[in-house]
Amino acid sequence: MTEVLNMPARVLVTKIGLDGHDRGSRIIAAYLRDAGMEVIYTNPWQKIDAVVALAMEEDVDVIGISSLATDHLLVPKLMKALAEAELGHVRVVVGGIVPDEDEADLLAAGVSEVFHPGAMREEIVSSVEGFAAEATNARPQD
Amino acid sequence: MNDTPEKNGLAARLLAGQPAALARAISIIEGEGEAVTRLLKSIQPNLGRAVVVGFTGPPGAGKSTLVNAFIAEMRGRGKTVAVAAVDPSSPITGGAVLGDRIRMAEHTMDSGVYIRSLASRGHLGGLSASAARVADLMDAAGYDVVVLETVGAGQSEVEMAEMADVRIVISAPGLGDDVQAIKAGILEIADILVVNKDDLPLANRTVRQLQSMLALRAPSDWKVPVLSTNAVERTGLPELADAIESKAALRTIKGARAALSSRTRRLLAQTAAKHVEDLILRDQNPTAEAIITALQQADIDLRTATSKILKHMHESLPDE
Amino acid sequence: MNKIDKPVSLDASADEWQRNYDKMIGQDRTIKNRSGIEVKPLYWPQEDTDGSYGDKVGFPGSDPMTRGIYPTMHRGRTWSQRQLIGLGRPADFNERIKSILKSGASALSIIPCNSVYRGLDCDEVEPEILGTCGTILNTVDDMDVSLKDIPIGELSIGLNDPNPFTMLAQMLIVAENRGIGWDKITGTSNQSDYISHFVANHMFYRLSLPGARRVQMDTIAYLAEHVPNWNALSIVGQHMQQAGATPAQAMGLTLSTAIQYANDCIERGMDPDVFLERFTFFFDISISFFEEVAKFRAGRRIWNNLVVERFGVTNPRAKRFKFHAQTSGLDLTRQQPLNNIARVTAQAMAGIFGGLQSMHTDGYDEVLSTPSPDSAKIAISTQNILKHEAHLCDVADPLGGSYYVEELTDAMEAEILKVIAQVDAQGGMYKAVENGFVQQMIGASALEYQDQVDNGEQIIVGVNAYQEVEDASARPVLKRPPPEHMQDQVKHLKKVKAARDPDALAKGLQDLRDAARSDDINVFGAELDAVRAGATLSEIVEVLRDELGFGMPLVVA
Repeated sequence: MTEVLNMPARVLVTKIGLDGHDRGSRIIAAYLRDAGMEVIYTNPWQKIDAVVALAMEEDVDVIGISSLATDHLLVPKLMKALAEAELGHVRVVVGGIVPDEDEADLLAAGVSEVFHPGAMREEIVSSVEGFAAEATNARPQD
Repeated sequence: MNDTPEKNGLAARLLAGQPAALARAISIIEGEGEAVTRLLKSIQPNLGRAVVVGFTGPPGAGKSTLVNAFIAEMRGRGKTVAVAAVDPSSPITGGAVLGDRIRMAEHTMDSGVYIRSLASRGHLGGLSASAARVADLMDAAGYDVVVLETVGAGQSEVEMAEMADVRIVISAPGLGDDVQAIKAGILEIADILVVNKDDLPLANRTVRQLQSMLALRAPSDWKVPVLSTNAVERTGLPELADAIESKAALRTIKGARAALSSRTRRLLAQTAAKHVEDLILRDQNPTAEAIITALQQADIDLRTATSKILKHMHESLPDE
Repeated sequence: MNKIDKPVSLDASADEWQRNYDKMIGQDRTIKNRSGIEVKPLYWPQEDTDGSYGDKVGFPGSDPMTRGIYPTMHRGRTWSQRQLIGLGRPADFNERIKSILKSGASALSIIPCNSVYRGLDCDEVEPEILGTCGTILNTVDDMDVSLKDIPIGELSIGLNDPNPFTMLAQMLIVAENRGIGWDKITGTSNQSDYISHFVANHMFYRLSLPGARRVQMDTIAYLAEHVPNWNALSIVGQHMQQAGATPAQAMGLTLSTAIQYANDCIERGMDPDVFLERFTFFFDISISFFEEVAKFRAGRRIWNNLVVERFGVTNPRAKRFKFHAQTSGLDLTRQQPLNNIARVTAQAMAGIFGGLQSMHTDGYDEVLSTPSPDSAKIAISTQNILKHEAHLCDVADPLGGSYYVEELTDAMEAEILKVIAQVDAQGGMYKAVENGFVQQMIGASALEYQDQVDNGEQIIVGVNAYQEVEDASARPVLKRPPPEHMQDQVKHLKKVKAARDPDALAKGLQDLRDAARSDDINVFGAELDAVRAGATLSEIVEVLRDELGFGMPLVVA
């Protein structure tokens, strides 16, 4: 048998910092699940080093950070920590309430996309699928 | 992918206990092919050290919380622990939200603990084949204890639990038909029965029910204990860990390789049986249908039919 | 329902209402509209054709309270304008609250920084996110600065202060130091509903479920004795609706939560005729206008009947369904953000017609960032415009008697009762959240609504219809506290901490620990002593987490 299984994308959906509203992250998790992806879902208030550990152990392609307060301001630190852990191939997206000024900073720090309130299901799903494929290609060869 | 067991190759890094290599290897192993075979081959000499413990039981029994408490107990005993937690996939899309490790968050930053979430669908060769291989990889990476956690709802979960050296079936009072729910199929494979949430009313009754059901089992060299735990309050965990270690010690007497070959044996038996089942129950293969008709009309006897089916099976399988 | 065959006169009930109205209104004024027509304080049918009006609608201030809890409603006393404010350092907050009070707010609310919600002092938090959402309140000193020159004995004060209520403890010590008696302190602990935090807004959730229950019951008992005009409990439907519950579910789950707390109080030997007077509620107002009006009217009626049936209440004040409501930020859009002013207006109207006692209107930019001072002013003006220019307060329950609204109220009542029955079947709210039942219900509803938006069934202007090219300049400019402000605050905390008497502090914290361990010592009393001895927010929360368990919500994916 030489079949190769087309592995579903693996996405870590999580929250960092202090806020605890999880309506958005639950909806995103359901969207990605319904699109056939495997979603690793966590408690809120994850520390940066914990997100890195989770991404590593779960071998994810994409990390989705949900931020409704100002917790997205920590994301540049996450980007740096991922690079240091040799997880530079993992794509990071942020969703929630992110002011324009901050969005520019996040993109400059290496975030792949920022989703705002009102982003539609198809848009989110197809973006994440695309980023997962990119992550697979960008993986260091074993 | 190039998995030569050379220095700094994936297998070498895995055997050196690097969690990132283990994580990658688990993803790779889900597929098939040359790379997988080579990876599995290169870890063979390092297998058989870990004790593989299966935790299964109906939804709501508190498995993840119990596994979390069990990890803490084993860490207290100086053991490293790797966990493969299986959540059901959506039957429609194949996607899954994997949330078991939410209950194990306190161990995220412990380098002596590795946790991996797996979805129940999308495993070539079945979930138990994947589970057996994941357990092998975790074993090869040097973890002392490997936990396979599943929701004991379906056949494939029971089969996965069978891959473990020590099989724990968890129940809790107040799950409605809880005892009935675990009776079917899964009680037979249990080495240890656990009644979790022992602070709930009727906990004692659940314990007694399980004990009386066990009385019907054929005697063996291992007497299945029924233990009470409270994973939230962390009570009953030392007793559970002791029971697991006693059961694992039996395995050690027989030898680690024996345990390993028994895992291989069960996996092969399951996989071969599945092929036969597919042929007879699902494939609508003309030859098989003819044999079934002949048996039905008593043209041939059961013994002949069986040998005909197996012979056809053999001929129709591609040569490896 | 006792249906009757022939019409009955409502004169006797109307007379009773008029007497109560006259007593409460003091000096009424004649109100005429622009056409010169006199506007009466209440309108009702001439006769009750089948008895249903008396049973289900009635008069404001009388059973079944559908039309409001007071005979005068907003014509007598309008709702409190309670804007949630909190920014940066205590001194910044103080400056801002003074200007808000000047612009017409009649009550004061304090919103702390998210780090406070998590039980962290400012020296334990990543500097990037410190003070960006609210005020840093770690010590009595912080509270004193926040309330400088504010007459705390004369204002109704809302504290967004989750269990174990450190902000309240700080404020009581501030009052003590200023020589203000605790009996003068009035207001509400707005975030005291730990069950709702476990389910939905996890940010407020600090102690384990049983630990939070213990502290809450101790606090209610302590305040009943020592701070008699404080509402120790606000039951929060807002979080559940924000998390995705439908309006009917949110109301049902909130009432189930209130039932749980009432049963807990009764178990502690408290008298429902006394403690229920201090129960208040806090709801979300979505833009589904008539549904929200009906939600409030139905909820009020259910509560009025329920407290009699379940708890045998006879004190009319204990039956009052007093609620604060906040316009829903979920309905606001990032696209064309000025449209949000219209949305907030519609939401606020639904709340007013629903008979609220206190209201917060959102700033139009809430969906873009932390609200700016300008948008907060517009939000307050919206309330004043509705009151004075649109004349929404002249008549009690102006939508009462509408075929649509009355039938919808009945239908919402049936839905709400269904939810309460489902929770009862789980063994009550505490059990129903512990086992994830409620979380599942809310998650399913959130997805269902999102599907309606995604497939265009629910039109959202500027989002899935009427889109326009974005004009980013319409968005307010983002202002964050300068980093050096936060550095100052951290330095200040270090100074305050260093100036404490270490022995008194150690004793205060040890006594708090002992109280948490014992079953007979009131934890909130011990907490006040610890705060008096200089204990910080984090020190108190740490001791209680240590003894009573860390609060990890049940996250259901």
